[in-house]
Amino acid sequence: MYISIILIGASCSSDKDEYVPIVENNTLEFKVPANFPEPTYNVSLNPPTEKGFELGKKLFYDGRLASDGVVSCGFCHIQDFAFTHHTHIVSHGVDGAIGTRNAQPLHNLAFMKEFTWDGVATHLDLQPIIPITAEVEMNETFSNVISKLEKEPAYVTLFAQAFENKKIDSENMLKALSQFMIMMISSNTKYDRIERNEGSVFTEEEVAGFELFTSKCATCHAGTLFTDQSFRNNGLAIDPQYNDIGRKRITGLEEDQYKFKVPSLRNIELTFPYMHDGRLRTLMDVMDHYSDGMTDSETLDPMFKDENGTVTGIPMTAIEKEQIIAFLKTLTDDVFLNDNRFSEF
Amino acid sequence: MKKIAILLVTCLAIASCKSDDEGGSEPILGNLTLDFKNVIENTDIELGTNTYTNGSAENYKISELKYIISNIVLINDNGEEFKYPVDQSYFLVNEEVSTSKSIPLSDIPSATYTKIRFGIGVDQSKYPIESGTANFIPTAEEAGMLWNWSAGYKFIKFEGTFGDADTPFLIHVGSHGATLDNYKEVTLDLSSNVIVSDSATASIGISADIAKIFDSTNTHSLVEKSDIQVDPENAPKIAENINTMFTVTAVFN
Repeated sequence: MYISIILIGASCSSDKDEYVPIVENNTLEFKVPANFPEPTYNVSLNPPTEKGFELGKKLFYDGRLASDGVVSCGFCHIQDFAFTHHTHIVSHGVDGAIGTRNAQPLHNLAFMKEFTWDGVATHLDLQPIIPITAEVEMNETFSNVISKLEKEPAYVTLFAQAFENKKIDSENMLKALSQFMIMMISSNTKYDRIERNEGSVFTEEEVAGFELFTSKCATCHAGTLFTDQSFRNNGLAIDPQYNDIGRKRITGLEEDQYKFKVPSLRNIELTFPYMHDGRLRTLMDVMDHYSDGMTDSETLDPMFKDENGTVTGIPMTAIEKEQIIAFLKTLTDDVFLNDNRFSEF
Repeated sequence: MKKIAILLVTCLAIASCKSDDEGGSEPILGNLTLDFKNVIENTDIELGTNTYTNGSAENYKISELKYIISNIVLINDNGEEFKYPVDQSYFLVNEEVSTSKSIPLSDIPSATYTKIRFGIGVDQSKYPIESGTANFIPTAEEAGMLWNWSAGYKFIKFEGTFGDADTPFLIHVGSHGATLDNYKEVTLDLSSNVIVSDSATASIGISADIAKIFDSTNTHSLVEKSDIQVDPENAPKIAENINTMFTVTAVFN
Protein backbone atom coordinates (compact mmCIF):
# COMPACT_ATOMS: atom_id res chain seq x y z
CA MET A 1 0.00 0.00 0.00
CA TYR A 2 2.71 2.29 1.17
CA ILE A 3 4.83 1.49 -1.88
CA SER A 4 2.05 2.27 -4.26
CA ILE A 5 1.47 5.63 -2.66
CA ILE A 6 5.10 6.51 -3.15
CA LEU A 7 5.02 5.36 -6.73
CA ILE A 8 1.92 7.34 -7.49
CA GLY A 9 3.45 10.34 -5.77
CA ALA A 10 6.63 9.96 -7.79
CA SER A 11 4.91 9.59 -11.13
CA CYS A 12 2.63 12.55 -10.48
CA SER A 13 5.51 14.83 -9.66
CA SER A 14 7.55 13.73 -12.64
CA ASP A 15 4.55 14.32 -14.91
CA LYS A 16 4.30 17.75 -13.49
CA ASP A 17 7.96 18.38 -14.30
CA GLU A 18 7.08 19.06 -17.89
CA TYR A 19 4.85 21.96 -17.01
CA VAL A 20 5.77 23.16 -13.57
CA PRO A 21 9.35 23.99 -12.68
CA ILE A 22 8.92 23.31 -8.96
CA VAL A 23 9.19 19.62 -8.14
CA GLU A 24 7.62 18.42 -4.97
CA ASN A 25 9.99 16.47 -2.82
CA ASN A 26 7.80 14.58 -0.40
CA THR A 27 9.15 13.17 2.81
CA LEU A 28 9.10 9.39 2.94
CA GLU A 29 7.73 7.72 5.99
CA PHE A 30 10.39 5.95 8.01
CA LYS A 31 8.36 3.34 9.82
CA VAL A 32 9.82 1.35 12.69
CA PRO A 33 8.32 -2.18 12.60
CA ALA A 34 6.23 -2.95 15.69
CA ASN A 35 8.65 -5.65 16.86
CA PHE A 36 11.80 -3.58 16.30
CA PRO A 37 13.78 -1.44 18.73
CA GLU A 38 14.16 2.31 18.23
CA PRO A 39 16.58 3.16 15.43
CA THR A 40 20.12 4.24 16.30
CA TYR A 41 20.14 6.48 13.23
CA ASN A 42 18.75 9.92 13.98
CA VAL A 43 16.25 10.04 11.14
CA SER A 44 15.12 13.57 12.01
CA LEU A 45 18.57 14.89 11.04
CA ASN A 46 18.42 13.35 7.58
CA PRO A 47 14.78 12.60 6.86
CA PRO A 48 14.43 10.51 3.72
CA THR A 49 12.63 12.23 0.89
CA GLU A 50 11.40 10.92 -2.42
CA LYS A 51 14.19 12.64 -4.33
CA GLY A 52 16.89 12.00 -1.73
CA PHE A 53 16.02 8.31 -1.80
CA GLU A 54 15.98 8.27 -5.60
CA LEU A 55 19.36 9.95 -5.65
CA GLY A 56 20.75 7.56 -3.05
CA LYS A 57 19.56 4.60 -5.07
CA LYS A 58 21.06 5.99 -8.27
CA LEU A 59 24.38 6.51 -6.49
CA PHE A 60 24.22 3.04 -4.96
CA TYR A 61 23.97 1.44 -8.38
CA ASP A 62 26.35 3.80 -10.19
CA GLY A 63 29.83 2.64 -11.20
CA ARG A 64 30.91 6.29 -11.34
CA LEU A 65 31.59 5.99 -7.64
CA ALA A 66 34.48 3.68 -8.53
CA SER A 67 37.72 4.43 -10.36
CA ASP A 68 36.91 1.95 -13.14
CA GLY A 69 33.37 3.20 -13.69
CA VAL A 70 32.01 -0.30 -13.10
CA VAL A 71 32.15 -1.47 -9.51
CA SER A 72 29.16 0.18 -7.87
CA CYS A 73 27.96 -0.46 -4.32
CA GLY A 74 25.36 -2.76 -5.85
CA PHE A 75 28.12 -4.80 -7.51
CA CYS A 76 28.96 -6.51 -4.23
CA HIS A 77 25.59 -5.92 -2.58
CA ILE A 78 23.03 -7.77 -4.67
CA GLN A 79 19.42 -7.53 -3.59
CA ASP A 80 18.45 -11.14 -4.42
CA PHE A 81 20.94 -12.27 -1.80
CA ALA A 82 20.04 -9.70 0.84
CA PHE A 83 22.59 -7.34 -0.69
CA THR A 84 25.58 -9.65 -0.40
CA HIS A 85 28.03 -10.67 -3.11
CA HIS A 86 26.51 -14.01 -4.02
CA THR A 87 28.92 -16.95 -3.73
CA HIS A 88 31.90 -14.66 -3.45
CA ILE A 89 34.09 -15.56 -0.51
CA VAL A 90 35.58 -12.09 -0.20
CA SER A 91 34.61 -8.85 -1.88
CA HIS A 92 35.86 -8.00 -5.34
CA GLY A 93 36.99 -4.54 -6.34
CA VAL A 94 38.24 -2.56 -9.33
CA ASP A 95 40.83 -4.01 -11.72
CA GLY A 96 40.33 -7.49 -10.34
CA ALA A 97 41.38 -6.51 -6.84
CA ILE A 98 40.35 -8.94 -4.15
CA GLY A 99 39.42 -7.80 -0.66
CA THR A 100 39.94 -9.69 2.55
CA ARG A 101 36.44 -9.84 3.94
CA ASN A 102 33.01 -11.09 2.94
CA ALA A 103 30.54 -8.39 1.85
CA GLN A 104 27.93 -8.10 4.57
CA PRO A 105 24.20 -7.97 3.92
CA LEU A 106 22.56 -4.56 3.92
CA HIS A 107 19.34 -4.40 5.87
CA ASN A 108 18.09 -2.74 9.01
CA LEU A 109 21.14 -0.49 8.99
CA ALA A 110 19.24 2.28 10.76
CA PHE A 111 19.25 0.04 13.83
CA MET A 112 22.97 -0.72 13.92
CA LYS A 113 25.49 1.06 16.14
CA GLU A 114 28.69 0.27 14.30
CA PHE A 115 29.42 -0.91 10.79
CA THR A 116 31.69 -3.35 8.97
CA TRP A 117 33.09 -6.53 10.47
CA ASP A 118 35.32 -4.69 12.92
CA GLY A 119 33.12 -1.69 13.73
CA VAL A 120 35.47 0.87 12.23
CA ALA A 121 32.62 3.04 10.98
CA THR A 122 30.66 4.41 13.90
CA HIS A 123 28.00 6.12 11.82
CA LEU A 124 26.12 4.99 8.74
CA ASP A 125 26.70 8.33 6.98
CA LEU A 126 30.42 7.69 7.02
CA GLN A 127 30.47 4.01 6.17
CA PRO A 128 30.46 4.51 2.37
CA ILE A 129 33.79 6.35 2.63
CA ILE A 130 35.45 2.99 3.23
CA PRO A 131 34.38 1.08 0.10
CA ILE A 132 34.59 4.17 -2.11
CA THR A 133 38.17 4.94 -1.17
CA ALA A 134 39.58 1.46 -0.41
CA GLU A 135 42.08 0.38 -3.05
CA VAL A 136 40.73 -3.15 -3.14
CA GLU A 137 37.15 -1.97 -3.46
CA MET A 138 36.15 1.10 -5.47
CA ASN A 139 39.54 2.85 -5.26
CA GLU A 140 38.17 6.32 -5.97
CA THR A 141 38.49 9.74 -4.35
CA PHE A 142 35.61 11.93 -3.29
CA SER A 143 36.90 14.82 -5.40
CA ASN A 144 36.84 12.61 -8.48
CA VAL A 145 33.40 11.23 -7.76
CA ILE A 146 32.03 14.74 -7.28
CA SER A 147 33.54 16.01 -10.51
CA LYS A 148 32.15 13.01 -12.39
CA LEU A 149 28.67 13.61 -10.95
CA GLU A 150 28.80 17.31 -11.79
CA LYS A 151 29.13 16.39 -15.46
CA GLU A 152 25.88 14.43 -15.44
CA PRO A 153 22.76 16.54 -15.97
CA ALA A 154 20.64 13.86 -14.29
CA TYR A 155 22.66 14.27 -11.10
CA VAL A 156 22.64 18.04 -11.27
CA THR A 157 18.84 17.86 -11.38
CA LEU A 158 18.51 15.21 -8.68
CA PHE A 159 20.86 16.89 -6.20
CA ALA A 160 18.99 20.15 -6.77
CA GLN A 161 15.65 18.46 -6.17
CA ALA A 162 16.81 16.46 -3.17
CA PHE A 163 18.65 19.14 -1.20
CA GLU A 164 17.82 22.70 -0.41
CA ASN A 165 21.33 23.97 -1.09
CA LYS A 166 21.25 22.05 -4.42
CA LYS A 167 24.94 21.25 -4.09
CA ILE A 168 26.74 18.20 -5.42
CA ASP A 169 29.11 17.62 -2.53
CA SER A 170 30.27 14.85 -0.19
CA GLU A 171 27.74 15.74 2.45
CA ASN A 172 24.73 15.53 0.18
CA MET A 173 26.10 12.44 -1.49
CA LEU A 174 26.48 10.62 1.83
CA LYS A 175 23.13 11.90 3.06
CA ALA A 176 21.40 10.53 -0.03
CA LEU A 177 23.11 7.16 0.32
CA SER A 178 21.96 7.01 3.95
CA GLN A 179 18.41 7.95 2.98
CA PHE A 180 18.38 5.00 0.61
CA MET A 181 19.99 2.63 3.07
CA ILE A 182 17.93 3.44 6.16
CA MET A 183 14.78 2.64 4.19
CA MET A 184 16.10 -0.87 3.59
CA ILE A 185 14.23 -2.49 6.44
CA SER A 186 13.77 -6.23 6.43
CA SER A 187 10.92 -7.06 8.80
CA ASN A 188 8.51 -9.29 6.91
CA THR A 189 9.84 -12.76 7.57
CA LYS A 190 7.79 -15.64 8.84
CA TYR A 191 9.49 -15.06 12.19
CA ASP A 192 8.29 -11.44 12.21
CA ARG A 193 4.74 -12.42 11.35
CA ILE A 194 4.77 -14.84 14.27
CA GLU A 195 6.38 -12.34 16.63
CA ARG A 196 3.78 -9.74 15.67
CA ASN A 197 0.90 -12.26 15.90
CA GLU A 198 0.00 -11.81 12.28
CA GLY A 199 -1.33 -15.31 11.88
CA SER A 200 1.71 -17.35 10.85
CA VAL A 201 2.78 -20.41 12.82
CA PHE A 202 6.05 -22.32 13.03
CA THR A 203 6.21 -25.93 11.88
CA GLU A 204 7.12 -28.50 14.52
CA GLU A 205 10.71 -28.54 13.32
CA GLU A 206 10.90 -24.75 13.41
CA VAL A 207 9.50 -24.70 16.96
CA ALA A 208 12.17 -27.16 18.04
CA GLY A 209 14.78 -25.10 16.22
CA PHE A 210 13.58 -21.87 17.79
CA GLU A 211 13.83 -23.36 21.27
CA LEU A 212 17.34 -24.66 20.59
CA PHE A 213 18.31 -21.35 19.05
CA THR A 214 17.04 -19.48 22.10
CA SER A 215 19.07 -21.58 24.48
CA LYS A 216 22.23 -22.03 22.38
CA CYS A 217 22.61 -19.03 20.07
CA ALA A 218 20.53 -16.10 21.28
CA THR A 219 23.06 -14.83 23.83
CA CYS A 220 24.96 -13.26 20.94
CA HIS A 221 22.36 -13.36 18.19
CA ALA A 222 20.01 -11.54 20.51
CA GLY A 223 16.70 -9.80 20.04
CA THR A 224 14.72 -9.17 16.95
CA LEU A 225 17.79 -7.97 15.05
CA PHE A 226 19.50 -11.28 15.88
CA THR A 227 22.68 -9.60 17.06
CA ASP A 228 23.77 -8.05 20.33
CA GLN A 229 26.07 -5.90 18.17
CA SER A 230 29.10 -6.98 20.18
CA PHE A 231 32.47 -8.11 18.83
CA ARG A 232 33.55 -11.65 19.64
CA ASN A 233 36.02 -14.33 18.72
CA ASN A 234 34.03 -17.40 17.72
CA GLY A 235 36.99 -19.73 17.36
CA LEU A 236 37.73 -19.58 13.65
CA ALA A 237 41.25 -20.84 12.96
CA ILE A 238 43.57 -18.11 11.71
CA ASP A 239 43.74 -18.06 7.95
CA PRO A 240 47.38 -17.30 7.14
CA GLN A 241 46.37 -15.92 3.73
CA TYR A 242 44.68 -12.94 5.39
CA ASN A 243 45.91 -13.12 8.98
CA ASP A 244 43.00 -10.86 9.81
CA ILE A 245 43.41 -9.53 13.36
CA GLY A 246 39.78 -8.37 13.49
CA ARG A 247 38.77 -5.56 15.77
CA LYS A 248 42.32 -5.09 17.05
CA ARG A 249 42.96 -3.23 13.81
CA ILE A 250 40.65 -0.49 15.08
CA THR A 251 41.34 -0.42 18.79
CA GLY A 252 44.94 -1.60 18.81
CA LEU A 253 44.02 -3.66 21.87
CA GLU A 254 45.31 -7.20 22.33
CA GLU A 255 42.00 -8.15 23.87
CA ASP A 256 40.28 -7.38 20.54
CA GLN A 257 42.49 -9.69 18.50
CA TYR A 258 40.42 -11.94 16.18
CA LYS A 259 37.14 -10.43 17.29
CA PHE A 260 34.49 -9.63 14.68
CA LYS A 261 31.04 -8.21 14.85
CA VAL A 262 28.26 -10.66 15.70
CA PRO A 263 26.25 -10.47 12.47
CA SER A 264 22.49 -10.30 12.25
CA LEU A 265 21.03 -13.60 11.10
CA ARG A 266 18.20 -12.13 9.10
CA ASN A 267 18.13 -13.52 5.55
CA ILE A 268 20.97 -15.85 6.58
CA GLU A 269 19.68 -18.53 4.23
CA LEU A 270 20.77 -16.38 1.29
CA THR A 271 23.89 -14.64 2.50
CA PHE A 272 26.30 -17.53 2.06
CA PRO A 273 29.20 -18.02 2.25
CA TYR A 274 29.50 -17.30 5.95
CA MET A 275 31.86 -15.69 8.45
CA HIS A 276 34.00 -12.56 8.01
CA ASP A 277 36.10 -14.23 5.35
CA GLY A 278 33.38 -16.33 3.78
CA ARG A 279 35.15 -19.55 4.68
CA LEU A 280 32.02 -21.60 5.48
CA ARG A 281 29.85 -22.51 2.52
CA THR A 282 26.63 -23.74 4.07
CA LEU A 283 24.59 -23.32 7.22
CA MET A 284 25.45 -26.91 8.12
CA ASP A 285 29.15 -25.98 7.87
CA VAL A 286 28.41 -23.20 10.32
CA MET A 287 26.67 -25.61 12.71
CA ASP A 288 29.63 -27.99 12.44
CA HIS A 289 32.02 -25.18 13.20
CA TYR A 290 30.16 -24.28 16.38
CA SER A 291 29.82 -27.90 17.54
CA ASP A 292 33.22 -29.31 16.63
CA GLY A 293 35.38 -26.89 14.68
CA MET A 294 36.55 -24.23 17.11
CA THR A 295 40.16 -23.30 17.60
CA ASP A 296 41.24 -22.03 20.99
CA SER A 297 43.07 -18.74 21.40
CA GLU A 298 43.57 -16.09 24.08
CA THR A 299 40.52 -14.14 23.00
CA LEU A 300 38.14 -17.02 22.26
CA ASP A 301 34.81 -16.08 23.80
CA PRO A 302 34.67 -17.70 27.25
CA MET A 303 31.16 -18.99 26.61
CA PHE A 304 32.69 -21.59 24.32
CA LYS A 305 34.78 -23.08 27.14
CA ASP A 306 33.95 -25.07 30.23
CA GLU A 307 35.15 -24.23 33.75
CA ASN A 308 38.44 -26.06 33.11
CA GLY A 309 39.15 -23.96 30.06
CA THR A 310 38.48 -26.79 27.64
CA VAL A 311 36.87 -25.70 24.38
CA THR A 312 33.38 -27.13 24.26
CA GLY A 313 31.87 -25.06 21.47
CA ILE A 314 28.11 -25.41 21.24
CA PRO A 315 27.21 -29.08 21.60
CA MET A 316 24.49 -30.03 19.11
CA THR A 317 23.26 -33.31 17.68
CA ALA A 318 22.75 -33.76 13.94
CA ILE A 319 18.99 -33.47 14.37
CA GLU A 320 19.32 -30.36 16.48
CA LYS A 321 21.43 -28.76 13.77
CA GLU A 322 18.75 -29.48 11.19
CA GLN A 323 16.14 -28.01 13.48
CA ILE A 324 18.12 -24.83 14.09
CA ILE A 325 18.65 -24.42 10.35
CA ALA A 326 14.92 -24.88 9.77
CA PHE A 327 14.31 -22.06 12.22
CA LEU A 328 16.96 -19.86 10.61
CA LYS A 329 15.14 -20.19 7.31
CA THR A 330 12.13 -18.48 8.87
CA LEU A 331 14.33 -15.35 8.87
CA THR A 332 14.22 -15.06 5.08
CA ASP A 333 12.29 -12.00 3.96
CA ASP A 334 10.86 -12.44 0.48
CA VAL A 335 9.07 -9.10 0.64
CA PHE A 336 12.37 -7.32 1.20
CA LEU A 337 14.27 -9.37 -1.38
CA ASN A 338 11.72 -8.50 -4.04
CA ASP A 339 10.96 -4.95 -2.99
CA ASN A 340 11.16 -2.85 -6.18
CA ARG A 341 11.99 0.26 -4.23
CA PHE A 342 15.49 -1.11 -3.72
CA SER A 343 16.00 -2.76 -7.10
CA GLU A 344 18.47 -1.55 -9.67
CA PHE A 345 16.00 -1.84 -12.53
CA MET B 1 16.90 30.69 -3.32
CA LYS B 2 14.43 33.45 -3.99
CA LYS B 3 12.84 32.74 -0.67
CA ILE B 4 16.17 33.06 1.08
CA ALA B 5 16.89 36.29 -0.72
CA ILE B 6 13.55 37.73 0.33
CA LEU B 7 14.13 36.55 3.85
CA LEU B 8 17.55 38.14 3.84
CA VAL B 9 16.24 41.41 2.53
CA THR B 10 13.54 41.36 5.18
CA CYS B 11 16.08 40.61 7.87
CA LEU B 12 18.36 43.34 6.68
CA ALA B 13 15.46 45.75 6.52
CA ILE B 14 14.49 44.87 10.06
CA ALA B 15 18.10 45.03 11.15
CA SER B 16 18.66 48.44 9.67
CA CYS B 17 15.43 49.76 11.15
CA LYS B 18 16.37 48.40 14.51
CA SER B 19 19.85 49.84 14.49
CA ASP B 20 18.38 53.23 13.64
CA ASP B 21 16.05 52.93 16.59
CA GLU B 22 18.57 51.66 19.07
CA GLY B 23 21.53 53.65 17.94
CA GLY B 24 23.67 51.01 16.20
CA SER B 25 23.47 48.11 18.63
CA GLU B 26 23.14 45.54 15.84
CA PRO B 27 26.13 43.27 15.30
CA ILE B 28 28.79 44.59 13.01
CA LEU B 29 30.73 41.79 11.39
CA GLY B 30 34.44 41.66 10.82
CA ASN B 31 37.22 39.39 9.66
CA LEU B 32 39.93 37.65 11.61
CA THR B 33 42.92 35.67 10.42
CA LEU B 34 44.62 32.94 12.40
CA ASP B 35 48.31 32.73 11.46
CA PHE B 36 49.88 29.44 12.42
CA LYS B 37 53.62 29.03 12.71
CA ASN B 38 55.25 25.67 13.27
CA VAL B 39 58.41 26.23 15.29
CA ILE B 40 61.12 24.46 17.21
CA GLU B 41 63.09 26.58 19.66
CA ASN B 42 61.20 29.64 18.43
CA THR B 43 62.40 29.24 14.85
CA ASP B 44 60.23 28.16 11.93
CA ILE B 45 60.81 24.53 11.19
CA GLU B 46 62.37 23.47 7.93
CA LEU B 47 61.27 20.30 6.26
CA GLY B 48 63.87 17.85 5.06
CA THR B 49 67.04 19.74 5.85
CA ASN B 50 67.29 20.74 9.49
CA THR B 51 68.20 18.26 12.18
CA TYR B 52 66.50 18.58 15.55
CA THR B 53 67.12 16.78 18.81
CA ASN B 54 64.36 15.56 21.07
CA GLY B 55 64.35 15.10 24.84
CA SER B 56 65.50 11.51 24.45
CA ALA B 57 68.66 12.84 22.72
CA GLU B 58 67.54 11.47 19.38
CA ASN B 59 68.30 13.45 16.23
CA TYR B 60 65.48 13.75 13.74
CA LYS B 61 64.47 15.46 10.51
CA ILE B 62 60.92 16.30 9.56
CA SER B 63 59.62 15.50 6.08
CA GLU B 64 55.93 16.16 6.54
CA LEU B 65 53.76 17.97 9.05
CA LYS B 66 50.01 18.38 8.70
CA TYR B 67 47.26 18.79 11.24
CA ILE B 68 43.56 19.56 11.36
CA ILE B 69 42.24 22.61 13.20
CA SER B 70 38.51 22.62 13.87
CA ASN B 71 35.59 23.94 15.89
CA ILE B 72 36.91 27.44 16.42
CA VAL B 73 35.34 29.42 19.25
CA LEU B 74 36.12 33.01 20.23
CA ILE B 75 35.44 34.16 23.78
CA ASN B 76 34.87 37.84 24.45
CA ASP B 77 35.62 39.98 27.48
CA ASN B 78 32.19 39.18 28.93
CA GLY B 79 32.90 35.46 28.71
CA GLU B 80 30.44 35.07 25.86
CA GLU B 81 31.34 32.56 23.20
CA PHE B 82 31.11 33.00 19.48
CA LYS B 83 31.12 29.65 17.76
CA TYR B 84 32.38 29.82 14.21
CA PRO B 85 29.88 27.96 11.96
CA VAL B 86 30.83 24.32 12.43
CA ASP B 87 30.42 23.34 8.80
CA GLN B 88 33.01 25.96 7.84
CA SER B 89 35.25 25.30 10.78
CA TYR B 90 37.57 22.58 9.47
CA PHE B 91 41.03 23.55 8.31
CA LEU B 92 44.11 21.68 7.27
CA VAL B 93 47.42 23.20 8.29
CA ASN B 94 50.17 21.87 6.03
CA GLU B 95 53.72 23.02 6.73
CA GLU B 96 54.55 22.66 3.06
CA VAL B 97 51.79 25.03 1.90
CA SER B 98 52.23 28.48 3.35
CA THR B 99 48.69 29.62 2.51
CA SER B 100 47.30 26.75 4.59
CA LYS B 101 48.90 28.24 7.68
CA SER B 102 46.81 31.36 7.39
CA ILE B 103 43.21 30.64 8.26
CA PRO B 104 40.77 33.38 7.23
CA LEU B 105 37.62 33.68 9.32
CA SER B 106 34.82 35.97 8.25
CA ASP B 107 31.54 37.36 9.56
CA ILE B 108 32.67 37.46 13.14
CA PRO B 109 30.60 39.69 15.41
CA SER B 110 32.54 42.79 16.32
CA ALA B 111 33.74 42.48 19.92
CA THR B 112 36.78 42.44 22.13
CA TYR B 113 37.91 38.86 22.37
CA THR B 114 40.20 37.59 25.09
CA LYS B 115 40.41 33.87 24.39
CA ILE B 116 40.31 31.42 21.54
CA ARG B 117 39.41 27.74 21.62
CA PHE B 118 39.88 25.21 18.86
CA GLY B 119 39.99 21.49 18.31
CA ILE B 120 42.89 19.48 17.00
CA GLY B 121 41.37 16.88 14.71
CA VAL B 122 37.74 16.04 14.20
CA ASP B 123 35.37 15.57 17.11
CA GLN B 124 34.34 11.95 16.94
CA SER B 125 31.05 12.56 18.67
CA LYS B 126 30.30 14.98 15.85
CA TYR B 127 31.65 12.85 12.99
CA PRO B 128 28.19 12.35 11.60
CA ILE B 129 26.86 14.49 8.88
CA GLU B 130 24.91 16.89 11.06
CA SER B 131 28.18 18.52 12.03
CA GLY B 132 28.92 19.45 8.45
CA THR B 133 32.26 17.66 8.51
CA ALA B 134 31.50 15.58 5.44
CA ASN B 135 32.47 18.36 3.09
CA PHE B 136 35.93 18.32 4.60
CA ILE B 137 36.40 14.78 3.25
CA PRO B 138 37.85 15.74 -0.18
CA THR B 139 40.34 18.17 1.41
CA ALA B 140 41.43 15.61 3.96
CA GLU B 141 41.57 12.89 1.38
CA GLU B 142 43.75 14.85 -1.04
CA ALA B 143 46.15 15.62 1.79
CA GLY B 144 46.32 11.98 2.82
CA MET B 145 44.57 12.76 6.08
CA LEU B 146 41.95 10.06 5.72
CA TRP B 147 42.59 6.44 6.59
CA ASN B 148 41.13 4.75 3.58
CA TRP B 149 40.38 1.55 5.45
CA SER B 150 38.47 3.40 8.08
CA ALA B 151 35.98 6.18 8.10
CA GLY B 152 38.29 8.34 10.14
CA TYR B 153 40.58 11.32 9.87
CA LYS B 154 44.24 11.52 10.71
CA PHE B 155 44.31 14.49 13.07
CA ILE B 156 48.03 14.94 12.68
CA LYS B 157 50.49 13.50 10.23
CA PHE B 158 54.06 13.95 11.38
CA GLU B 159 56.74 12.09 9.48
CA GLY B 160 60.48 12.14 9.03
CA THR B 161 63.64 10.23 9.80
CA PHE B 162 65.77 9.81 12.91
CA GLY B 163 69.13 8.53 14.05
CA ASP B 164 72.35 8.01 12.12
CA ALA B 165 70.71 5.54 9.77
CA ASP B 166 67.91 7.97 8.88
CA THR B 167 65.30 5.47 10.06
CA PRO B 168 61.81 6.62 9.06
CA PHE B 169 59.36 7.66 11.74
CA LEU B 170 55.65 8.06 11.23
CA ILE B 171 53.15 9.51 13.65
CA HIS B 172 49.49 9.49 12.68
CA VAL B 173 47.05 10.27 15.46
CA GLY B 174 43.31 10.01 15.03
CA SER B 175 40.20 8.42 16.45
CA HIS B 176 39.18 4.90 15.60
CA GLY B 177 35.87 3.17 16.00
CA ALA B 178 33.98 3.91 19.16
CA THR B 179 36.79 3.17 21.59
CA LEU B 180 39.83 5.27 20.74
CA ASP B 181 39.08 8.99 20.70
CA ASN B 182 42.05 11.31 20.42
CA TYR B 183 40.21 14.53 19.59
CA LYS B 184 41.27 17.35 21.90
CA GLU B 185 40.40 21.00 22.33
CA VAL B 186 42.70 23.73 23.55
CA THR B 187 41.77 27.14 24.99
CA LEU B 188 44.39 29.86 24.69
CA ASP B 189 44.51 33.26 26.35
CA LEU B 190 45.21 35.98 23.83
CA SER B 191 48.40 37.87 24.56
CA SER B 192 46.38 41.04 24.16
CA ASN B 193 42.73 41.51 23.31
CA VAL B 194 41.75 41.18 19.70
CA ILE B 195 39.24 43.72 18.54
CA VAL B 196 37.16 42.54 15.62
CA SER B 197 35.49 45.33 13.68
CA ASP B 198 34.40 46.05 10.16
CA SER B 199 37.25 48.46 9.56
CA ALA B 200 40.27 46.13 9.52
CA THR B 201 41.11 42.45 9.51
CA ALA B 202 42.53 41.49 12.87
CA SER B 203 44.89 38.58 13.22
CA ILE B 204 46.06 36.20 15.88
CA GLY B 205 49.50 34.63 15.61
CA ILE B 206 49.55 31.09 16.96
CA SER B 207 52.75 29.22 17.37
CA ALA B 208 52.92 25.43 17.45
CA ASP B 209 56.00 24.16 19.22
CA ILE B 210 56.62 20.98 17.28
CA ALA B 211 59.26 19.75 19.74
CA LYS B 212 56.43 19.20 22.18
CA ILE B 213 55.04 16.38 20.06
CA PHE B 214 57.84 14.30 21.58
CA ASP B 215 58.44 16.09 24.86
CA SER B 216 55.73 17.68 26.91
CA THR B 217 53.26 16.06 29.31
CA ASN B 218 54.67 12.77 28.07
CA THR B 219 58.06 11.89 26.68
CA HIS B 220 58.26 9.86 23.54
CA SER B 221 61.38 8.14 22.31
CA LEU B 222 61.58 7.25 18.62
CA VAL B 223 63.95 4.39 19.34
CA GLU B 224 61.25 2.85 21.46
CA LYS B 225 58.50 3.35 18.91
CA SER B 226 58.87 5.02 15.54
CA ASP B 227 55.56 4.02 13.98
CA ILE B 228 52.49 5.27 15.79
CA GLN B 229 49.20 4.74 14.03
CA VAL B 230 46.38 2.80 15.62
CA ASP B 231 48.07 2.71 18.97
CA PRO B 232 45.91 2.76 22.10
CA GLU B 233 48.94 3.33 24.30
CA ASN B 234 51.11 5.87 22.49
CA ALA B 235 48.65 7.78 20.30
CA PRO B 236 46.72 9.21 23.30
CA LYS B 237 50.02 10.33 24.86
CA ILE B 238 51.07 12.06 21.65
CA ALA B 239 47.60 13.64 21.45
CA GLU B 240 48.06 14.99 24.99
CA ASN B 241 51.43 16.44 23.99
CA ILE B 242 50.00 18.04 20.86
CA ASN B 243 47.37 19.67 23.00
CA THR B 244 50.11 21.61 24.81
CA MET B 245 52.05 22.80 21.78
CA PHE B 246 50.01 25.87 20.86
CA THR B 247 50.54 29.39 22.23
CA VAL B 248 49.34 32.76 21.09
CA THR B 249 52.39 34.82 20.20
CA ALA B 250 50.91 37.95 18.68
CA VAL B 251 47.69 39.84 18.15
CA PHE B 252 47.23 42.49 15.48
CA ASN B 253 44.21 44.74 15.39
